Amino acid sequence: MASTARRGKTKIKPPRKHGQAFSAEKTWAELANNIREIQNHDASNLSFEENYRFAYNMVLHKEGRMLYEGVKKLVAENLDMMAREKVIPAFPTGSINDPMHESQEGDIFLKALRGVWDDHVSNMIKLGQILKYMDRVHTKTDKVPEIWDAGLHLFLKHIIRPPIQQHIVSAVLNQIQFERDGYSINRFPVKGCVDVLLSLDIDDAGVTVYKRDLEPAFLRESEAFYKAEGVKLLESCDAPEFLRRVESRFESEDSRTHHYLSSQTAPPLRQILQDNLLTPHLSTVISFPNSGLDNMIDTEKTDDLARLYRLFVMVPIGLPCLKKSLKDSIARRGTEINRTSLGNDGGDLDIGEDAGSLKRKGKGKARPAGGGGAEKLTLALKWVQDVLDLRDKFVAVWQMAFNSDREVESALNEAFESFVNSNDKAPEFISLFIDDNLKKGLKGKTDSEVEAVLDKTITVFRFLTDKDVFERYYKGHLAKRLLQGRSVSDDAERGMLAKLKVECGYQFTQKLEGMFHDMKLSGDTMQAYRAHLAKTTPPSIDLSVTVVTQTFWPMSHSPSPCVLSAEMEKACKSFEQFYLSRHSGRRLTWQPSLGNADVRVAFKAKTIELNVSTFALIILLQFQDLEDDGFLTFTELQEATRIDDNDLQRHLQSLACAKYKVLKKHPPGREVERDDSFSFNADFTSTLLKIKIGTISSKVESGEERKETRDRIDEERRHQTEACIVRIMKDRKHMKHNDLINEVTRQLSGRFQPDPLNIKKRIEGLIEREYLERCPDRKSYNYSA
Amino acid sequence: MTEDVDMQPEAKDTDWIKITSTDGFEYMIKRKIANTSGTIRSMLDTEMNYAEAVSRVCPLVQRGIIVEKALEYMAFRAHYESLGPKEDIPVNEFLERLPPEIVLEVLLAADYLEL
Repeated sequence: MASTARRGKTKIKPPRKHGQAFSAEKTWAELANNIREIQNHDASNLSFEENYRFAYNMVLHKEGRMLYEGVKKLVAENLDMMAREKVIPAFPTGSINDPMHESQEGDIFLKALRGVWDDHVSNMIKLGQILKYMDRVHTKTDKVPEIWDAGLHLFLKHIIRPPIQQHIVSAVLNQIQFERDGYSINRFPVKGCVDVLLSLDIDDAGVTVYKRDLEPAFLRESEAFYKAEGVKLLESCDAPEFLRRVESRFESEDSRTHHYLSSQTAPPLRQILQDNLLTPHLSTVISFPNSGLDNMIDTEKTDDLARLYRLFVMVPIGLPCLKKSLKDSIARRGTEINRTSLGNDGGDLDIGEDAGSLKRKGKGKARPAGGGGAEKLTLALKWVQDVLDLRDKFVAVWQMAFNSDREVESALNEAFESFVNSNDKAPEFISLFIDDNLKKGLKGKTDSEVEAVLDKTITVFRFLTDKDVFERYYKGHLAKRLLQGRSVSDDAERGMLAKLKVECGYQFTQKLEGMFHDMKLSGDTMQAYRAHLAKTTPPSIDLSVTVVTQTFWPMSHSPSPCVLSAEMEKACKSFEQFYLSRHSGRRLTWQPSLGNADVRVAFKAKTIELNVSTFALIILLQFQDLEDDGFLTFTELQEATRIDDNDLQRHLQSLACAKYKVLKKHPPGREVERDDSFSFNADFTSTLLKIKIGTISSKVESGEERKETRDRIDEERRHQTEACIVRIMKDRKHMKHNDLINEVTRQLSGRFQPDPLNIKKRIEGLIEREYLERCPDRKSYNYSA
Repeated sequence: MTEDVDMQPEAKDTDWIKITSTDGFEYMIKRKIANTSGTIRSMLDTEMNYAEAVSRVCPLVQRGIIVEKALEYMAFRAHYESLGPKEDIPVNEFLERLPPEIVLEVLLAADYLEL
């Protein structure tokens, strides 16, 4: 109300006393009567104004305390009455052993309690309104709680007391237990009751009756229940079923706390579930024979796996456990793949596959693999394909079931890395796989399919630690593809190169790019050469030359010797002249072992054009001047051609023993021996006009060749390590031993995993050659070059 | 100023409420205005359903002149309640209309009515 202090000009009259003489007792008697009326739900006959005025007058006449205490007494009486008449008769008997009946009794009891509460609340609100003036004036000055709070307090004292209290708790717990056992209950009374307990504070700190009485009992009960439940489920279910049940338990408890308990109970309850139902059984479940993680992955049960993941990430030990199991699973599968790829050197493969791969080999040209080259190749391809399939499988699981979890991904990668690298032929296999795809490429696969396969291969490549070994193999395979024009698409090749560049950086692909560059230059040179020939007299045979830079290409530097025919010699000379006239100061070395030739051969039936290697051509030429059915022995051929023993043997085999037998071997057989002799097979015929005769792979023991490759790689690594050390020391000038080792390891790890012992040896080597010097403290080095 | 009082259960802001004084004056006000007084609001609370809420008649034990001033203030307040903080509320104008003789009595009534 606005202020009354108004300049004080006019006289302010005191308010008139209204009402007659006031009697506190009389007023209270009337008011108490009316309050009972209200408690009997008979308010509509009463005038609010009247009662409000009673209370107002009593407070005004300083009888607030009488009013307050009187009301409290009336409320307490009413509560006692209700407890007597409504709550106590509804006590569950608890004597019958029928859960259904028990639940109904609990239901009735909780409903009764709730009814009493509702009644009390409605009464207190009505009283609160009538006694509002008392609350505003009296309670504050008298420092007593407002009538509403006093009402709650009374309720607590008169209703929530033994034995009603115990009955409430046990009734609620019984209902919950009943629901957990799979029956449905009427949640409403339970919720009603819990709400009552939640709204009753037992002290000023805000601790509710729920928190004091119900929650601890509930949590105790839950813990016991789920401890038993976990053991029971483990005995009776397989892994997916266990997980399903556990998850549904989590969900139902969640909905329970959400719907009719307090949300403050949710975290401790969840903790109990995790601690009792989940955590102790994790490792048992995940490794369940026949239904654990492995089995789920095998049978692609994405839903189960997703559930497994969801449950496992809930608890702290879950993810490590999952990661470990995944790693074990991958390691086991990986070892299996490795074993199949190493275990059998032929023999196990059935004939069909053998023949197929033989054919492929015919087109595919020499592998660095030896003995059963064909089987080796198949195995290599199978290995990579298996690894890719395995990875696809796990990546699919990871994406669909494991929510693309980063930690799981790193565990997957680690596992793959370790098993891929445990196969020391992995770099070779991967390179072979890429080689195979780039060569066959379009046959049966579209560009984009090849692209996809190569993309995946790169992911496997990423796992390799010995990237330099891979580079060596890849270079070899690339060289053969380029020189023999077997690459299906230049785009695919360059695409692959770009991928490698992204993975390993510029240095890694420098030489490979050099190879491509050489191919392009050679093309240009050949055009110029042809133009040049058009102006002069061309040699009798058509010559195509690829000029390659020695350092880029992985060819042996000493050319295999052989005697070229006069025509060939002339053609070579002609090109040599032309080339050196354009680039003075360069040295050309001929590598006939890498070349091939088209030659028309007049057989009896018809003339067929053969595409053979240069060596094979030279061998064939030896038969040109021979009369029909003339023989040449192995030794004679060798003397005439001067081709290396092994090479000669190989090429003779491909001419005389492979699919197209242009030469006859005496005696016939699959292998070429040193005392065999050969004759021209004039009766040879074929439906084709042009035949390509591949060369059978070199028969060098694969072990030896591998050793050689290994040695070469080791040497290269030595150089790289030294170069790296010098680079670092040149920059830092002075460095501690350990720092240096770490830095070298770090810089080289992109290419291979250096052994600290080797680094140490290289450091010593450099000290000997006075690039470095040991400091007096014997723990660090100075750069001294 | 009379109106039929029917037993409508629904309580609307626009309902007419009758306020009576001890000396026989009757005032009709909208429920919205009546609700500015806590006491009258409780009287009219349909949930509690006291006799006043049923009949929509609120007898006040005050003289008509006091009731009138109290109601005037309630209307004044209901009118300016929704005003923004920047707009001027003509408090003085209202104060000038309040005769000093009854100021204290009005004050007591206001206390009673929870204004």
